[in-house]
Amino acid sequence: MTGPSPAPTPTDPATGPGPYGIGIGWRPEIAGFVAGLPGLRFVEVVAETVSPAGPLPDGLAELRERGVTVVPHGVRLSLGGAEPVDPARVAHLAGVAAAVDAPLVSEHIAFVRAGGLEAGHLLPLPRSRDAVAAVVANVRRAQAELPVPLALEPIAALFDWPDDELDEADFLTEILDATGALLLLDVANVHANARNRGGDPLTLLDRLPLDRVAYVHVAGGAEQGGFYHDTHTDPVPAEVLDLVGELCARRRPPALLLERDGHYPPAAELRAELDALAAASGYPVVT
Amino acid sequence: MTRDSGAGRTAGADPAGAPSPAAPPAGRPPSSGAPPAVGGSGLAARQAALVAALVAGGPLPPGFAPEPVAAARRALLRKRAGDVARHWPLLAAGLGADWSATFAGWAAGRPTNGSLRDGWDLARELRDHGRLPALGAEELASREATTRYDGRTAPRPRRLPAVARAGGAVAVQLAGRVRLLRPARR
Repeated sequence: MTGPSPAPTPTDPATGPGPYGIGIGWRPEIAGFVAGLPGLRFVEVVAETVSPAGPLPDGLAELRERGVTVVPHGVRLSLGGAEPVDPARVAHLAGVAAAVDAPLVSEHIAFVRAGGLEAGHLLPLPRSRDAVAAVVANVRRAQAELPVPLALEPIAALFDWPDDELDEADFLTEILDATGALLLLDVANVHANARNRGGDPLTLLDRLPLDRVAYVHVAGGAEQGGFYHDTHTDPVPAEVLDLVGELCARRRPPALLLERDGHYPPAAELRAELDALAAASGYPVVT
Repeated sequence: MTRDSGAGRTAGADPAGAPSPAAPPAGRPPSSGAPPAVGGSGLAARQAALVAALVAGGPLPPGFAPEPVAAARRALLRKRAGDVARHWPLLAAGLGADWSATFAGWAAGRPTNGSLRDGWDLARELRDHGRLPALGAEELASREATTRYDGRTAPRPRRLPAVARAGGAVAVQLAGRVRLLRPARR
């Protein structure tokens, strides 16, 4: 690895165009609910579900007209793949960023396909030097084509590779330092990994470069078969909300976003989860 | 009447799936010996071996803990079942409580071809075995009237009028609009 790239810092949370306050992942199934949140300033949209050429989905276009920040969130770039990232996928993400006038985009430190097979979900990398090199190379390829900064999200995984050379904090910090990327920290993933793979979540928070956090993900999950599953289809557990508080006590991120991807609850329950996030972080309620 | 535009579908790309029971994994215990040396191409090969173990019935790569990988394999099947159910809502609804187990039993060891094709292949297999529920038959007939699918390559919209049948259901498509002429046997 060569010298570090110029490191963007998260935009001024109060006045900048970046994500600010409490947001929610925009999904077509809850577009009406999201449109009815009066204080909302920030949503995320799964980049692969938006066509840069076509019109934006109805609800999303209305949010843009209201001045709500929309952050495209990629899930299929496979930045951690050993092969070079697909330029067409990077171009798509760049196109979506332009279409929604995004201040930044985000993707995962993960791979989703290999050997011609799609895994169907985000898979963990070995925490090895050559995996760092692979993801750094792909992040740089993506950054060269993206019109806005990229934030990288560490994933939740149920298993480890057998030959990790680095711990999670060093692994992530090396990637961020080498690429200048921002951090999208998912506190539910921090909880899930500590629960399933061991380690102290607070120690990890203490060692991560929290000044590089662009925004934070919060999601629900469930215990099943002896593991905590980061399902995004269950309520946010108290342990995850507690971690939000611990994070904000160390350094409050500019924004926190609730992810829900199915088994949508009644609106009152979603509102309560957004209010709980506001309470835990001290940001204004958006409901 | 069931109406199905058959157009404008995007791949489900949500980062999580719905929890549900799933078929047990078919993992093998790790073989003995040290992991292979890690190099640039080594990472690619090892990633491919891991994906094959998770979605294509491949052996567990050396050194991985079997139980957590098996849990990940089941979680992937649950997520896939949720994604396919979004593309084939009537098929999933028709199977009701059996959806997750039915899908997992079909999909285990079978890599995805995308949610649209996965659901299509499953619906045809259930039809061939007389196990396709009425709602699924109506959905399948409607899809086949609007879209040509050879079972090997990406489905394509039909340009000409078409009639399709499944499980007693008859769907007709004219100028891209589909109408269910006869419901499936119930």
